[in-house]
Amino acid sequence: MADTQLSVTDLQVRFPTDRGVVEALNGVSFDLEKGQMLGIVGESGSGKSVTAKTLMNLLPRTAEIDGEVIFEGEDVRAVARERRKHFWGVKMTMVFQDPMTSLNPVKRCGEQIAETLRYHLGHGRKMALRGATDLLGQVGVPEPAKRVHQYPHELSGGLRQRVVIAMALACEPSLLIADEPTTAVDVTVQKHILDLLDRLRREREMSMILITHDLGVARGRCDDVAVMYAGRIVERSATETLFNESRHPYTDALLRSIPHIDQPSHTRLDPIPGRPPEMINPPVRCAYAPRCRHAREDCLTSIPTMGGVTGVHEFACHHPANTDRGDAALAANVAVGVTPAGLHLTAGAGSE
Amino acid sequence: MTRFMINKVAQLLLVLLAVTFLSFSALNLLGDPLFNVVGPLAELDCDAVEAGLIEDTTTTLNNQVGDCEIVAEARAVYRLDEPVMKRYVLWLGDLISGDLGTSFKNDLPVTEILKDKFPVSIMLMVMAEIVALGLAIPLGIYAAYRANHRADRILSVGSFGVLSIPNFALGVILLYLFALKWQIFPATHDDSSFFAEMKSLSLPAITLGAGLAATYQRLLRTDLLTTLQEDFVHMARAKGMTDSHIMWRHALRPSLFSIITVFGVNTGALIGGSLVVEQIFSIPGVGRELVQAVIRDDFPVVLGGVVVIASGFVVINFVVDLLYSWLDPRVRTT
Repeated sequence: MADTQLSVTDLQVRFPTDRGVVEALNGVSFDLEKGQMLGIVGESGSGKSVTAKTLMNLLPRTAEIDGEVIFEGEDVRAVARERRKHFWGVKMTMVFQDPMTSLNPVKRCGEQIAETLRYHLGHGRKMALRGATDLLGQVGVPEPAKRVHQYPHELSGGLRQRVVIAMALACEPSLLIADEPTTAVDVTVQKHILDLLDRLRREREMSMILITHDLGVARGRCDDVAVMYAGRIVERSATETLFNESRHPYTDALLRSIPHIDQPSHTRLDPIPGRPPEMINPPVRCAYAPRCRHAREDCLTSIPTMGGVTGVHEFACHHPANTDRGDAALAANVAVGVTPAGLHLTAGAGSE
Repeated sequence: MTRFMINKVAQLLLVLLAVTFLSFSALNLLGDPLFNVVGPLAELDCDAVEAGLIEDTTTTLNNQVGDCEIVAEARAVYRLDEPVMKRYVLWLGDLISGDLGTSFKNDLPVTEILKDKFPVSIMLMVMAEIVALGLAIPLGIYAAYRANHRADRILSVGSFGVLSIPNFALGVILLYLFALKWQIFPATHDDSSFFAEMKSLSLPAITLGAGLAATYQRLLRTDLLTTLQEDFVHMARAKGMTDSHIMWRHALRPSLFSIITVFGVNTGALIGGSLVVEQIFSIPGVGRELVQAVIRDDFPVVLGGVVVIASGFVVINFVVDLLYSWLDPRVRTT
């Protein structure tokens, strides 16, 4: 394997609440190579953002964290314990979902970018402001010299997201985490922002984690994709492999639930039945089993571990889709019309 | 921005006009001003005296000069024969040129009487606000930082404790402990030097400021907790800023709205409070003067004091309005 920049091993995060302990992450592991882009895909509540926030040390103090995060040879959790300055914001930064709220409304855009430069690099006021103007130019903001003196509310959503990106890139980080950077902007701006991130990543040889619920976004840009479900990574591989040879029934179902351009019009999409599971005291079983058409008895009694080819194409499933074993499980379920978990498989819908 | 300012100033002038009119009419309609100037003589029917129907020596006190002449003079000096509206306009004209009229009781110009009293009262209030903000901002930040931990709970209980002690009680307690028992601060007012005056105003300022500090601290804590949930605070943390940098540089300014609002509104309560506190600590301020003027029915002094205080209140709230736009640039455009 090439230069590993970030290595996450068996990351677990729990939040004690009044209703019980929320098990937000249950053993997340992945590696990220230098200069690569990893996409993390999943529905709301699957643990994408918690993973990002754990990496960025942004979780509330009440969170219980276990596992190991090694970034460029340093134990990130030790860095957090020692309250080291100039780590986050310098080596590892993050861009948030909503550019409307991630800028301080009472500070000028230039000031907010310059602040990072002054804080971490010790630049003087003037030099930092020049740096900010420069950065705004780099992220494609027109008239940067004018924009530095404007307040966030005077800019459009797309421009604000560029300001946020400029802010994140100010200290030339080697890893950028983008948490749904395009969810809050409209589609045309979305493409511009993604192109910009792609360009900057290549120019600066920066690694990137792109968190998204949009499979299309992940497919076009990422080198690798990890699919998360209920606080676990359920499938991970190179992007094309994942999209062409999906093994986890969840990935499979996700891909079938989005429209394809080569489908005839008015083709019915195939939604995933049910809801994501409760994260408080989850039973010992595959978290996806109740919604899974492949589920067999063993899925209800044990949690599948990561299988497949390590480092190439991994998936956590007892009866992987598009394999003989998986097809057999599906056929057996279709034959009875109901899975052992009680999901009714109506003829037609969902059958291949 | 200029248009914003013009609007604000126009509003200010309108409110000032209303304030002066209300104070003027209220005091003119409560009781008979003539009675306040000349006492029982006001009851004298001068038309009847002129017609020779009754003697001009109904009172024993003023029999050297004709009673009706005294009454006529008072009516002329205080323009009591004019209708209230006209008197208001004339009085307003005088007010603008800096003339608040003459006292009924000692014939001194009201401006002379109040001129000496205002600086000490203003100093007291400024010191009270300094005490309040100086305590509330660091404590509010600390409480928000340690929200729901022990320190926050202690501060919360402490705040409510302070809030539940009335000014006059706290003043007396402080006076007894610090001025009489331990003699750290003087018990009487001392204006021999600026420093001496500040020292003797310390206890009154603490008395006035403690309750404010408690209010401000609670407000700031709540506002900060809301601000700390904002994305830009997470963004600042993702930029690697320390908690204290985030608190002071990012979260504090957007969290000051409630404090500023209450600061403006509470100025009224502060003035009311200083009335009592000036009495307790025998401070020769406006509060004391007003209380005495009310007792001796000295209507021009009361009116002058009320108008100046009310205008001060309005002006402070005008400044608060401007502070909003300084705190949040979004206010300027809307």
